[in-house]
Amino acid sequence: MADMGRRLPVYLLLDCSGSMAGEPIEAIRQGVRALLSDLRGDPQALETAYLSVITFSSSAQQVVPLTELLSFQEPPLAAGGSTALGEALKVLEKCLDSEVRKSTPTQKGDWKPLIFLMTDGQPTDNWETQANILKQKRVGNIIACAAGPGADTNVLKKVTEIVVQITNLNPDDLKAFFKWVSSSVKSTSQSVGQTPAENTPVALPPPPPQITIVP
Amino acid sequence: MSVETATLKNGKTLQFNSDMIGDGAMKEVYFTTDRKKVVCFFKDPQAGSDRLRVQRLDFILGKYNPTLPRDAGGAASSAGDAAFYSNLFCWPTDIVTQPRFGIVTATYPNNFFFETGPDFIKGKEKNGVRFLGRRNRQLLEKLAPRELGTWINYFKLCITMTRAVARLHLAGLSHSDLSPNNVLVDPVGGSSIVIDIDSLVVPGLFPPDVLGTKGYIAPEVLSTLPLKFDDPKRQHPSARTDEHALAVLIYQYLLLRHPLDGRRIPPGNTAEEQDALQYGSQAIFCEHPTDDSNRVEEPNSVPNTCLGPLLPDLFKRAFVDGLHQPHRRPSANEWLKALIKTWDLLTPCANAQCPQKWHVFDAQKRQCPFCGTVARQPVPVLRLRYEAKPGQWLADGQLVVYDKLYLMKWHAFARLFPGPETDRTPQGYFAWHEGQWLLINQNLTSLTTSAGNRVPPGQAVALTHGSQIRLSQEPNGRIVEVQLQ
Repeated sequence: MADMGRRLPVYLLLDCSGSMAGEPIEAIRQGVRALLSDLRGDPQALETAYLSVITFSSSAQQVVPLTELLSFQEPPLAAGGSTALGEALKVLEKCLDSEVRKSTPTQKGDWKPLIFLMTDGQPTDNWETQANILKQKRVGNIIACAAGPGADTNVLKKVTEIVVQITNLNPDDLKAFFKWVSSSVKSTSQSVGQTPAENTPVALPPPPPQITIVP
Repeated sequence: MSVETATLKNGKTLQFNSDMIGDGAMKEVYFTTDRKKVVCFFKDPQAGSDRLRVQRLDFILGKYNPTLPRDAGGAASSAGDAAFYSNLFCWPTDIVTQPRFGIVTATYPNNFFFETGPDFIKGKEKNGVRFLGRRNRQLLEKLAPRELGTWINYFKLCITMTRAVARLHLAGLSHSDLSPNNVLVDPVGGSSIVIDIDSLVVPGLFPPDVLGTKGYIAPEVLSTLPLKFDDPKRQHPSARTDEHALAVLIYQYLLLRHPLDGRRIPPGNTAEEQDALQYGSQAIFCEHPTDDSNRVEEPNSVPNTCLGPLLPDLFKRAFVDGLHQPHRRPSANEWLKALIKTWDLLTPCANAQCPQKWHVFDAQKRQCPFCGTVARQPVPVLRLRYEAKPGQWLADGQLVVYDKLYLMKWHAFARLFPGPETDRTPQGYFAWHEGQWLLINQNLTSLTTSAGNRVPPGQAVALTHGSQIRLSQEPNGRIVEVQLQ
């Protein structure tokens, strides 16, 4: 298409701490599956989007490296442990450094990554330093989702400007979140690469009613 | 699933299924119970109370509507004209007022949905990205090769797409977001349909909603994007920017590459910065005649000069002269005329294994630009002449002959353009028969050989090198001069 070499990297940072056990983690599994199937059906996303999953509980790891949609294998997700948000952000930074192609005078690099961070609780590690590093590096468009009553939107606001909230951890609301992630990826993969200001947030489609934007 | 009722602006009602079948950025889409139409509700809850938007839709459905005859409040000159354009657009038919504000359109015809392939292809709409995107195309090659169609059908769908754009411009409308996403294509049958009509720009009434789509936004729009919306220097989508997008689409469908996408890497530290320059202020045609800085890397790429005597000139005007000077771009109507004239120069490749199977015949080279195969036997080329003034016959085009080609009325008569209401009854056909080329007359009442012999319908005349045939003695009847090349 417009530029065949460039990719749109999409990172999902998923909280798999103990509090997600049961229905919530199952809803997330289904959410990832629905997201994948939805994006595979969209030619523009198929053309440019690459997907990676980073999970965090007592520690954090990249469970799926940045992969094109058709080769993407759903990761096994299990809930248990605490909420190592700081480590997750550190893993993210590493992945962005190694996986996202930079634009240089000799290379057409990737689009600015879209990063969706979902968490349901208070971080249990030292996260602030890492949040600052990420914020300063302006590595990508981070969209944070505070899921359920235990999530702290103030924490997330320190990670990114764009914070949304779903008040309950029920399956329908989680599903709606993944649906919105899908629409966001689709619209980003086809909209213009607007450049005016470095720090303008990416324009995302309006979220469904279950999801509120935290001002 | 439940059945719900929508009330239309004209007071009628419509039953639709409550299961959403599509969810776009602006609209939610539902099937009517008979599945012949879709109901699209605007997501913006204010859409129905936006006076300008409602007025724009009224205009689009009414006096600007080329799919509705004038006597029914539309813009089509007759029922035939309306039917012709109904095949080129998926035009909205009604406005919905309840339960929410929306529009009704016909369901896309079946040929615009994939018939084969795995579940993420089969049954999906034939969005142009499926055929133009490198990854999408590779997938089709692997998983649903039959859906790719042949080159001649890409040529054909360029004609239908250009007809649609030319019709919008004729009415003073502009699409403002022409892209592979808004023109569904069928490379198997060779047709296209313009969708998402509700965001058309009605001059003076409603400014464009969107900037366009990556790769199809005109350079002047992209390079003035940082200016304030109401800055007089800021350029907005218009018919001129449609002309850019149309030229890009035609180039892509015929040559399967983007005209501004070559080896040059513009300055910039991000993809967004580089792209804004590549498609904006620093855009350079990959086949620029004097600046080779943005050539494509593929060694075997087919140059646009293989597309006959007319299209290369238009590509030069679109991507060299007019790339940064919008008023110099060819109009949709100029594209349409050039495509239709070039259609008459197509010839099947002598190589049955040729990936493209068809190309524009070049009498000097006699070679397929896609696979390199040279024509095995002489190709009859008819030089068309018409009587400009009594006794003065001027050349006005050519017809390259192949087996089973039809001779149409616009070949037999000058001053006749294949438009919406043109008689499409074949006047004759050509055949390779027992070692010679024949024109078999079907409906021409005064077909005459150079020796003065009448050839009545049902009889044939041989095409021999140097012979002249008068296709019709009636006013504007053409003379053709046969050359075997």
